[in-house]
Amino acid sequence: MVGITTYSVYIPRFRLDRALIARAWGTPQPAGEIAVANYDEDALTMAADAALACIEDGAATPDGLYFASTSSPYCEKQVASVIATVCDLPRRSQTMDFSGSLRGGMSALIAASNAVRAEALQDVVVTAADARVAAPESEIEGVLGDAAAAVRIGRTGLLAEIAGVASVSEEFTHLWRTDTERFVQAFPGKFSNTYGYARDMGEAVRAVLSARQLEPAAIAKLALYSPDARASADLAKELGFDPKRQLIPSSVPVIGSAGSADVMLSLAAALDEAAPDDWIIAAAYGEGADAVLLRATAEVARRRPARSWKQWLAGKMALPSYEKYLKFRRVVDVDEPGEAINNVFEYRELKQDVRLYGSRCEACGTVQYPQARVCIKCKQRERMADHKLRKQGTVFTFTIDHLAANIEHPLPMSVIDLDGGGRVYLQVTDFADGEVDIGKPVTLTYRRLHEGGGNHNYYWKARPLR
Amino acid sequence: MKDQVAVIGVGCTKFGDLFETGYEDLICDAAFEAYADAGIDPKEIQASYLGTYLPGPSGGKAAVSLGDALRLYDRPITRVENYCATGTDAFRNGCMAIASGTYDIVLVLGAEKLKDRGGRGLPRMGHPLLAKGNSAPGLFALAANRYMHTFGMGRETLAKVAVKNHYNGARNPKAHLRMEVTEEKVLKAPIIAWPFGLFDCCPTTDGGAAAIICRADMAKRFRKDYVLVKGFGLAVTSGRPFFDPTFDYLGFRSTQMAAQQAYAMAGVSPRDISFAEVHDCFTWTEISNTEDLGFCKKGEGGHLAAEGRTALTGDIPINPSGGLKSFGHPIGASGVRMIYECVTQLQGKCGERQVKNPQLGLAHNVGGPGAVACVVILGHN
Repeated sequence: MVGITTYSVYIPRFRLDRALIARAWGTPQPAGEIAVANYDEDALTMAADAALACIEDGAATPDGLYFASTSSPYCEKQVASVIATVCDLPRRSQTMDFSGSLRGGMSALIAASNAVRAEALQDVVVTAADARVAAPESEIEGVLGDAAAAVRIGRTGLLAEIAGVASVSEEFTHLWRTDTERFVQAFPGKFSNTYGYARDMGEAVRAVLSARQLEPAAIAKLALYSPDARASADLAKELGFDPKRQLIPSSVPVIGSAGSADVMLSLAAALDEAAPDDWIIAAAYGEGADAVLLRATAEVARRRPARSWKQWLAGKMALPSYEKYLKFRRVVDVDEPGEAINNVFEYRELKQDVRLYGSRCEACGTVQYPQARVCIKCKQRERMADHKLRKQGTVFTFTIDHLAANIEHPLPMSVIDLDGGGRVYLQVTDFADGEVDIGKPVTLTYRRLHEGGGNHNYYWKARPLR
Repeated sequence: MKDQVAVIGVGCTKFGDLFETGYEDLICDAAFEAYADAGIDPKEIQASYLGTYLPGPSGGKAAVSLGDALRLYDRPITRVENYCATGTDAFRNGCMAIASGTYDIVLVLGAEKLKDRGGRGLPRMGHPLLAKGNSAPGLFALAANRYMHTFGMGRETLAKVAVKNHYNGARNPKAHLRMEVTEEKVLKAPIIAWPFGLFDCCPTTDGGAAAIICRADMAKRFRKDYVLVKGFGLAVTSGRPFFDPTFDYLGFRSTQMAAQQAYAMAGVSPRDISFAEVHDCFTWTEISNTEDLGFCKKGEGGHLAAEGRTALTGDIPINPSGGLKSFGHPIGASGVRMIYECVTQLQGKCGERQVKNPQLGLAHNVGGPGAVACVVILGHN
């Protein structure tokens, strides 16, 4: 049996009220909000956050990590390998990026389940994230939202078994972005929903049902990608489901359409509520469709993540203005501070800077960071062992800097004593007024630190514990 | 070492936003004022130490920038750089050169041209990832917040230091910011890095200062009221204290250790010091310095300031010059400027800001995030 052993969700803290978009352009917008990745977040960092949540809880080490996104920060350079390193996976891991299609997240999940079923791999993390940008004042500007989700595919300790897969593939242009464009384009009007979305998704869902000779009524939870607030409900009804009882509501009203992560978020919402033996269908769309049939096991309640989909939705903070959103997504020019980091530097310090290892003195036991040859406390030489730092800690002291070289102000900086030892000095992000103070608990998150040397430079930051 | 080296002449430029003055002009103005003060022919200078923190775009690059500015060629010149302790460390190196018997007469000069860089003067440096986002105010604010949390001190105590130093600086014709401020104005100023507002921070300043030192036994040749070097000390601690799990952030061990060395060399205790020029890059730093230098116990520096004991008329006047806060802080120049202030105070030439009957003056720099400190004690011959 192959299936899901762990899952997690990551929704950035900021929400942009659609009323702010309406005010900016003088055009109507539906009620609700879109989730907006912070200025230091992108698909890589959100996917890393989701993947870390899947891995840190587990005892075993995955042997594969797949990343899916249509808004990867790199057109040439694998991101899965970056996330695998952030997650401290061994070098002998299989990593792959799935890009181009909005159903990339589900494609990666299917690929992972095939690899595990074939016993090529034991345990694969699939993480999907998107932070797509629409042209200002375009029809889909208020539709796209930013988020990530991850699932872990394995053979033992399943919370849901993968019981069937059906795919449809055909050229159909619904949403697209060419190699030279920054903004996602959409063919206007209802045509795409009817002749692309409903047709392809409907065919895949019917196929996965009929393979197991199941009727729509047998399905407990239906998790469908939805290009807008209504399309998934319309489709569910057309296929003979009861949207009110069975469908996980479209996340477009509350966070926007999260691209490659969208259906995985709905799947997480379904698993949050699933009872043992419940049938679940999750279907993704994009140049065809992938539908996956799952069945919850007796373990489903015991293996849920620490933070539910509903908790992620609730833990939000309002963006003060539309202009902040434009800045966060670099739609307006931003003077990014940065100096060249070179590959040699990165290579030499990978374990320290990305895998986040410090040193532990074998003579006196002091854990310290950055890695050192001589102990900061007892001054013993060459008795230092690699020590993986924990990612939770407490603020020892801090400042809130209004002039530091950064694109967003104020910038809190904090000295943090990590649980299990080691003291680090990090920027604080995703904070609200009053959340940065001596004694406050924080958790570490991998973020885009600065642009230097013509590249994104990522490093750890702290965020208040939510 | 005590009493072996004499200061026979000092010079100091006006400090400020010197947009019409170049780096070499600063060196020239400071050096020639010191030459005149000592009544010495530049030809008699046998060696020189130049304290400069930042090279280019209009700053010193190496020893040659002093040589070219003064046409002082064919003899040893050494550039010294040690964070904000650059100036006092240049002076310390000059003293050791004379005490070693290698040279008889040495020129020590500090100069810094920060304003030509635009913005806030200091470029970003260091590791491309680690400690990114730090700034000078931010680094000292880490300590200030921990200190204020531990000892229950408020921003109004910090403000008292700013008010006092601006009062002194307003009486100093060479100071950068020559205006008095009220506690209310200090507290209402925009925040730079919490808990520091604008008036808790020293300005970014251009300036130069010089001292001519010689073997003590030949000082009488130049003047009667020469000043003697009684002691000095320098201590380096971690340049990244934010990673040190043993650091309590309540003060700087570098200052404590440098002061101990200087007191031991001079054979005096903190009680014997008449006044001190201490490194008040931020208001909290002055409060902590008074503790680290031994003028009061740890945690009592705020009371010392609040009770007026560090004012010009107090029992331990701190920064009669106006300090970095009001006099300004051209990094490499500041330490030498402190020597200038100590010497002129001891010579009784400070007019409105003159400390009453001083016997021993102390100069103190602390640089980096509390990583390097240098202390010099000067007294009458």
